[in-house]
Amino acid sequence: MSAPFIVSQTAGLVLAVVLGLFFGLFLERGGLGNPHKLTGVFYLTDFSVPKAMFTAMLVAGTGLYLLSDLNVLDMTRVWIVPTFFWPQLLGGALFGIGFLVSGYCPGTAVAGLASGRLDALLTMLGIGAGSLAFAIVYPAIEVFYFSSSMEGATLPSLLGISHWVVMVIVYLMAGGMFYVMERYERNR
Amino acid sequence: MKKNSYWSPYIAGAGLGLTLLATFVITGWGIGASSAFSLLTGVGLGKLSPEYAHKITYFSQYLNVEAPLLNWVLFEIMGLFLGALLGSMLAGNFKLRIDKPEHMSTGTRLITAFGGGIIIGFASRLARGCTSGVALSGGAQLALAGWVFVIAMFASGFVAAALFRRLWS
Repeated sequence: MSAPFIVSQTAGLVLAVVLGLFFGLFLERGGLGNPHKLTGVFYLTDFSVPKAMFTAMLVAGTGLYLLSDLNVLDMTRVWIVPTFFWPQLLGGALFGIGFLVSGYCPGTAVAGLASGRLDALLTMLGIGAGSLAFAIVYPAIEVFYFSSSMEGATLPSLLGISHWVVMVIVYLMAGGMFYVMERYERNR
Repeated sequence: MKKNSYWSPYIAGAGLGLTLLATFVITGWGIGASSAFSLLTGVGLGKLSPEYAHKITYFSQYLNVEAPLLNWVLFEIMGLFLGALLGSMLAGNFKLRIDKPEHMSTGTRLITAFGGGIIIGFASRLARGCTSGVALSGGAQLALAGWVFVIAMFASGFVAAALFRRLWS
């Protein structure tokens, strides 16, 4: 049997807690429960967020495509995050503002609360309120929500090139970014 | 040097990446976060005012299932809380407080924390996920969704920081 091993519901929920535990541990230890560090990138004072985020993407992405090429993982059974171009562009832009204002994102707010930050609890309540606001206006924006669907689009499939070529481009971009950040931090 | 009790973000990032990879391999999907908040809001409203909740089409995805709380992302978020609690406790980082920029009053901080949360909640539903479900999971898959979200988020964060210079700096 090859991965992914879609598991029974009970086993799935136990694994969810275990995987979440590591997720939270690494977020907190990386300083990503701390709103000063989380917003630092936008003021060029702390680059923990892009460093941790792009490292995580590179590690997971490399592993994913490597296991797929080795036939250990069946990529056709992996759920690819669907693309809806304009809603995600606008959603991402709005998200950036909320991230800067609150100092958290949904996962890091939970990590913030778990390190004793009560302001993170308010952000969590706000996220609930914002979800409710979305649900209420949903009928009016449903057409936009489903617009520009590019279901399952990936950069390699769009560009018509090997996923390793894209991966190398991402490595070079991230590597260049890390280099600039390290230099900037040292010279400050 | 208490300030430097965190790990290198590269090490933490590699750990996050391995956790995400394990999630893909085991379950066939990535990690998430924001949908748990939407789920709890929908289910909570369903308890408070079933009639009104059932009128909200978007929440029917939670209210029309048998046991909505037995949800993968919700359990993952509970694990996330425990893991972060463990991390902050072991590092001596745990402290009950309102974390805010030095110059900001507590009242203002409560408003920015809540208000920013509202924007995040709305934006995450519009984008079908947040930094975890779309940016990290999608970005690692080289899915267009992840990269569109990441670029839009950083670009608008920089513009917002330039407009609100005194917010955090």
